Amino acid sequence: MLGYVISRFRNAIILLVLASMLCFGLVVSAPGNVAVLIAELRTPGATFAQIEEIEEELGLNDPLPLRYWHWLSGVPDGDFGISYKTGEEVGAAMARRLTVTATLLGGAAAFACLLSLALGFLGALRPHGVVDGLTRVGALLGASTPQFFLGAMLIYGFALKLGWFPTFGDDDGLRSYILPWITLGMLPGCVLSRLVRVGLEEEMTRPFALTARAKGLPRNAILFRDAMPNVAPAWLTAFGAQCTAMTVGSVVVEPLFAWPGVGAMFLQGVQFRDFMVVQAGLLIFISFFILLNLAVDIVVMLLDPKLRRQGGR
Amino acid sequence: MTALQKLRAALAGFPRLALWIIAGFLFLGLFGPWLVPHDPLKQNLLAAGQGPGLTHLLGTDHLGRDTFSRLIAAANTSLVGITLVLGIALVIGIGLGTLAGYLRGWAEESIMRVTDVGLAMPSLIIALAMIGIFGTGYWNMVIALALAWWPSFCRVSRGVAVGVMNKPHIEALRVMGASPARIFFIHLLPTTTGSVLVYATADAGGLALSIATLSFLGLGIQPPTPEWGQMLVDSLPYLEGDPRQVILPGLALTLVVVAFNFLGESIALNRVPRPLGRRILARRRAEAAAWDTPPAGLVTGEKA
Amino acid sequence: MTPVYELRDLTVDLFTRSAAVRVVDGVSLSVTAGECLAIVGESGSGKTVMSFAPIGLMPEGVSVGLTGGAQLAATDLIAGGEAALARLRGRDVAVIFQDPMTALNPARRIGSQIAEVCTLHLGLKGHAAQARALDLMRLVGISDPEARMRQYPHELSGGLCQRVVIAMAIAAEPKLLIADEPTTALDVTVQAQILDLLRDLRVRLGMAMILITHDIGVVANAADRVAVMYAGRLAEVGPVDQVLRASTHPYTSALIDAIPRPDDPVGSPFRGLPGMPPHLAGPIRGCAFAPRCPSATPACSELRPPMRGIAGGADWQAACHHLTLSAVPKEAAA
Repeated sequence: MLGYVISRFRNAIILLVLASMLCFGLVVSAPGNVAVLIAELRTPGATFAQIEEIEEELGLNDPLPLRYWHWLSGVPDGDFGISYKTGEEVGAAMARRLTVTATLLGGAAAFACLLSLALGFLGALRPHGVVDGLTRVGALLGASTPQFFLGAMLIYGFALKLGWFPTFGDDDGLRSYILPWITLGMLPGCVLSRLVRVGLEEEMTRPFALTARAKGLPRNAILFRDAMPNVAPAWLTAFGAQCTAMTVGSVVVEPLFAWPGVGAMFLQGVQFRDFMVVQAGLLIFISFFILLNLAVDIVVMLLDPKLRRQGGR
Repeated sequence: MTALQKLRAALAGFPRLALWIIAGFLFLGLFGPWLVPHDPLKQNLLAAGQGPGLTHLLGTDHLGRDTFSRLIAAANTSLVGITLVLGIALVIGIGLGTLAGYLRGWAEESIMRVTDVGLAMPSLIIALAMIGIFGTGYWNMVIALALAWWPSFCRVSRGVAVGVMNKPHIEALRVMGASPARIFFIHLLPTTTGSVLVYATADAGGLALSIATLSFLGLGIQPPTPEWGQMLVDSLPYLEGDPRQVILPGLALTLVVVAFNFLGESIALNRVPRPLGRRILARRRAEAAAWDTPPAGLVTGEKA
Repeated sequence: MTPVYELRDLTVDLFTRSAAVRVVDGVSLSVTAGECLAIVGESGSGKTVMSFAPIGLMPEGVSVGLTGGAQLAATDLIAGGEAALARLRGRDVAVIFQDPMTALNPARRIGSQIAEVCTLHLGLKGHAAQARALDLMRLVGISDPEARMRQYPHELSGGLCQRVVIAMAIAAEPKLLIADEPTTALDVTVQAQILDLLRDLRVRLGMAMILITHDIGVVANAADRVAVMYAGRLAEVGPVDQVLRASTHPYTSALIDAIPRPDDPVGSPFRGLPGMPPHLAGPIRGCAFAPRCPSATPACSELRPPMRGIAGGADWQAACHHLTLSAVPKEAAA
């Protein structure tokens, strides 16, 4: 088992390095001269001499591997460079925003988790029954509604018209978290609920479910105690995938609710072609994905009795 | 069977409502631009913010453009966008995936490694990063999305390709002297293409969402070309006063995505049998009851 | 003795979108306490459905029509409804299955799966249920039960898994045990052990047992009476000695004849039966076996033969018109 964990860690580190190369490579392949942008930022109407000075300063004339190393060695210190638009340090700005995004993602993930389990399980209690039909229609709608549309509608209905929640901002305590959490978590929750529903139905056709019926167990007990544990690994893996999708969702939800998070900053970077911000945001996101996948892999291994003893595939 | 009969048979197992909605989307997407009652781009500030009426069936937006026409034109925008992205992504994905499944060895390894990296990341992040670096614009968006979408097609076609290569008839073809190109193009490629196309149809909803999301963020279809996500974000500042302009594009988009998702779900869900409807059950019961069941009780002690 | 389990003219129909299939057609038999009735037949003969359908163990989503009579002890199985059947399952009737490895839940420990039955039917909780589970494991011959309790099914051999399934089945001391090909998936040496265990338990607990199998050797070894099924109908039923030694129904004779003998010369052809069993999606006119029967006459395809007693008794019966021709068995039963 330890061997499995170690090999996964090693893979993760290799992937992280590759990801950093990807981020770096993406930015250096950008068209246009960065130095010109910065020069204009500092002194409008910059001369060629000033631009060349900046090129030296940023090390733009160094060979690529050296530039990569300079950038990478700054990362552990939190030095992600300077934003070309605002001039502030990217690293510090991102750090401030991490907690905001973490709150958004954490709550949305919890909502998606509960929603998927509830909808999927309710439907599986009586397959092809009325409740099942309703949950399936609901899940289909929830999985098809664009997050920005859902957010706009929730704001209109519950914030503007009913006034139960603030229309934007994250400074009103729990009340300001509810609508963003639902907006971000609804789609993943509905997608996952279909996996739970189909998974449970398939597990109920397996031989051990027949054994359980022969033992005289009521159907609900079989569903909960026998079928669910077998659906757990697939659900967990899909949950991890949905969490990575939710980080992308944060790029939409944060601006919609005016939350000052990493996603909002990344979006601004993309909109204004602020390369350092894009690079930093991309690296943060990809690192999160890699670490999340690592965590999911390990937990899934721990859940599966076969893998736990053997120590992984 | 005629071509029409074949088409109907192939579509038989799928939910009809979804098929009709998709057909409607395709129809409007293809012929919409010629059917719109008003010019979708024409502004008329004097008529801005109107509700539904006779001239403007669904009202006008904040610049006085006819919403109904814009919604229809946006269908065309979506359809063209989806087709382009899927076209490019399918060519790359099926090509690389089939090659990987055919060649095996290090070619397969390297192709699948790249695919794995692509699959580990959500599609929009890649698209966003590329647009952030290379700028906005129609073709930038198309290429960025295509680059985000091809890995899943690659994985599916490689899986199918490996399965086909393992079948005995490929071995037989090789023995009979069929050239590698022949095996690849005539036997392998049609099978992988077929499987991936089915998968891609189910996935088209997600692509429509992505295009709309990018447009919502201002990074996709640029105004004044109408697109549902973009129409929504344009009208967002007026949400409180005129929610219609936000609701209508949102509904249109949701409807199309629901249809595609419903279709995709029914493709996947045909595995566990559903119980029979009442009418069919009654019919079968009557059928069985009509069969003779001669008395077969315990008969004792009979001898010749 | 009143039978523990009795089927009277049971007919089971399965309904699908495109057809109705009569899987079991007018079968009557009974089992008494302590007796082992073997049900033999080829795949598709209806032997499993005949045993599973009356107790409601058909797969989910399958539409079934049951007519006739089925009784377990004093309970009417057909009129009862699913709720009544669920109460019986595990308590009055238990089942052991063909593939023990898949019959157990791979995600749960053995001990928990056995203790669950004790909690459900015996009202034992926590430690008491665990203790009873340990007792059961010792009863079925599992060594070192304390360690085994915490293991998962994939860590056990096929034979051990089957013992666990048996332990779960007898936990509530049921009146009837249905064993669906319990040894087919096991090694030959383990087969003998499991059959011995089953016989031992049967005697100890006074259970009636239905043993479904396609292996005549198992029938000879483990059963008191045997019922032979073909195309959903009963061909012959009677004491094992008599049926196997002096079978009167042509199908039974063919089955036994097909078994290779030690004195067969090397290279001699198999004594199989030509033809295929009939489709069950429509009425079958006359005797189901007639198309393949060496002694068939035109009358056989017209009228379905009823079950007739042989040699004057009700104990041994067969459904064949030609019993009238040779009412005396080939060899006199001792």
